[in-house]
Amino acid sequence: MNAPFFKYALFGDEMSLVVAFVIGIGFGFFLERAGFGNARLLAAQFYFRDLRVLKVMFTAIITAMVGAYLLGRLGLLDLSLVYLTPTFLVPQIAGGLILGAGFIIGGYCPGTSCVSAATGRIDGMVYLAGMIGGLLGFAEVYPSIERFTKITAMGQITLARQFHLSYGFLVFAVVLMAFGAFVMAELAEKFIGGKEPGPGALLEPVRTFTPVRRFAVVLTGLGVVALFAGSPYRSALAQVDTKQLALDALRAADQVTADQLADWLVEGRNDYLLVDVRDAQSFAAYHIPGAVNLPLSGLNHDFAQRNERVVFYSDNAIHTAQAWFLIRSLGFPSVYILAGGLETWQEAVLYPRAPAAGAAPKDQIDFAKRMAVAKFFGGSARGATSEVANPVAPVLPKLAPPSPTAPAPDNAQPAKKKKKEGC
Amino acid sequence: MNPYWAGFGLGLVLLASFVIMGRGLGASGAFTTAVATTVHAIAPAHAEGNAFYAEYLGDGATSPLKDWLVFEVLGVFLGGFLSGALANRLKFTIEKGPRITNPRRLLLAAIGGALMGIGAKLALGCTSGQALTGGALLNLGSWAFMMCVFGGAYGLAWFLRRAWL
Repeated sequence: MNAPFFKYALFGDEMSLVVAFVIGIGFGFFLERAGFGNARLLAAQFYFRDLRVLKVMFTAIITAMVGAYLLGRLGLLDLSLVYLTPTFLVPQIAGGLILGAGFIIGGYCPGTSCVSAATGRIDGMVYLAGMIGGLLGFAEVYPSIERFTKITAMGQITLARQFHLSYGFLVFAVVLMAFGAFVMAELAEKFIGGKEPGPGALLEPVRTFTPVRRFAVVLTGLGVVALFAGSPYRSALAQVDTKQLALDALRAADQVTADQLADWLVEGRNDYLLVDVRDAQSFAAYHIPGAVNLPLSGLNHDFAQRNERVVFYSDNAIHTAQAWFLIRSLGFPSVYILAGGLETWQEAVLYPRAPAAGAAPKDQIDFAKRMAVAKFFGGSARGATSEVANPVAPVLPKLAPPSPTAPAPDNAQPAKKKKKEGC
Repeated sequence: MNPYWAGFGLGLVLLASFVIMGRGLGASGAFTTAVATTVHAIAPAHAEGNAFYAEYLGDGATSPLKDWLVFEVLGVFLGGFLSGALANRLKFTIEKGPRITNPRRLLLAAIGGALMGIGAKLALGCTSGQALTGGALLNLGSWAFMMCVFGGAYGLAWFLRRAWL
């Protein structure tokens, strides 16, 4: 199984919206079932009357955590492809406190207010209106607080990495902590809230094994497994079939010729990602239209969708080959190198050489075609006789980014301006 | 529904989102996209000049409303409605404690909502995107956030007891 399915391009953007809708229905359904459409029930959490919020949230967290952990550990889910919101510690602490205040004042959080509005609660609808007002206000003051929102940036980091603990140990610890919290919650409801525990309560002295208890035992068991099973993230070490790699390299199955690439660009194909691995300065001076700039250091496991066809080029054959190997070893199956790099691109595509006078008609026709392509990319043909000592190097760095005559095949830029993935 | 079973169901939905999409759940982001799109429709120059809105407007190639979170939240409305309808809980009413008047409760709801909007944007997510999703992924910032949400709410609970008890 290759999961996350979407990151392996098993379905497209349109389908992802359908998935979003269905997942949203499930989310809304269980929020409502949990009683979260009711502000009084939610607020009761903070007076120890009904600790539903804590119970539901932590059960959901440990369920998803243990599930993701096990799937990752079994190699069924590549956890490094699951989006992790980057940590900005101080803004998130401040945001959490403000959000907590909003929770007790308004009685909802964004998700629960949707459910409450959908079930007819007028306070939920007013709350949503208030939230829109808050967002408008935040946007207006954003320019002056932008710096604050970016302080203490720590990147995408898990508790395990920050505190140098084993991921499995943390899974176990969180499961234990959650059960501790559940026991305390049941006690608090009984003694502070003055409420008799319900039939499913954890602490009820029952002789039979209620489903909830059985579930708790199973989860604890899985937590213990996690304790000894290690990290769910796939090993950072390259795990490649070296023989297969060598064969691909021998057969030149990993190469795209300059002409091929030119054809793709002219056709406006967008089923591949063209990556320039030179530095930003060289990229700014000239790059093949539609290319994105990602120096070697910027290549990581989620720079592209896993099944995407990636074509690397540079003016340095070694760097290109290194990028190819790096990305192949990260498990990307379709990685290509532009044969001959930028130099060949210039020679063959931008400045094709005219055939000698009296060449075969086939060559003449071929040249006419090449000239059209060269024009498309802002280049020009060179005469057959004009032998310049080093025709390529001096000309190109000065070349302005080309202004193609036809609509630019700009659609080959998926990394252009991604929308935020987080909440 | 027993809260533990509801939580289990919620956890499975979240896990499905990880496995199918490689991302978690969210809520506040959809409203930000909607707000940004509306502002952009009314005052395009203003929205494009604002770094906050610009981040939610995408590249202009497709409508920013064709967004994962927007569709997810539409689903949340429908899912909540369905669940409420099946359980006979649909009712136009105001949820509040017995000691507070309706206008005051609604005023507090609006204030709370506004604070929530601000807090969620500062924290890069709300209870869904940060606490639930990040919690399950053992995200450092999400756990710090989650503790602060409970801290903030418990800290103010005493002052608001008239609204709820």
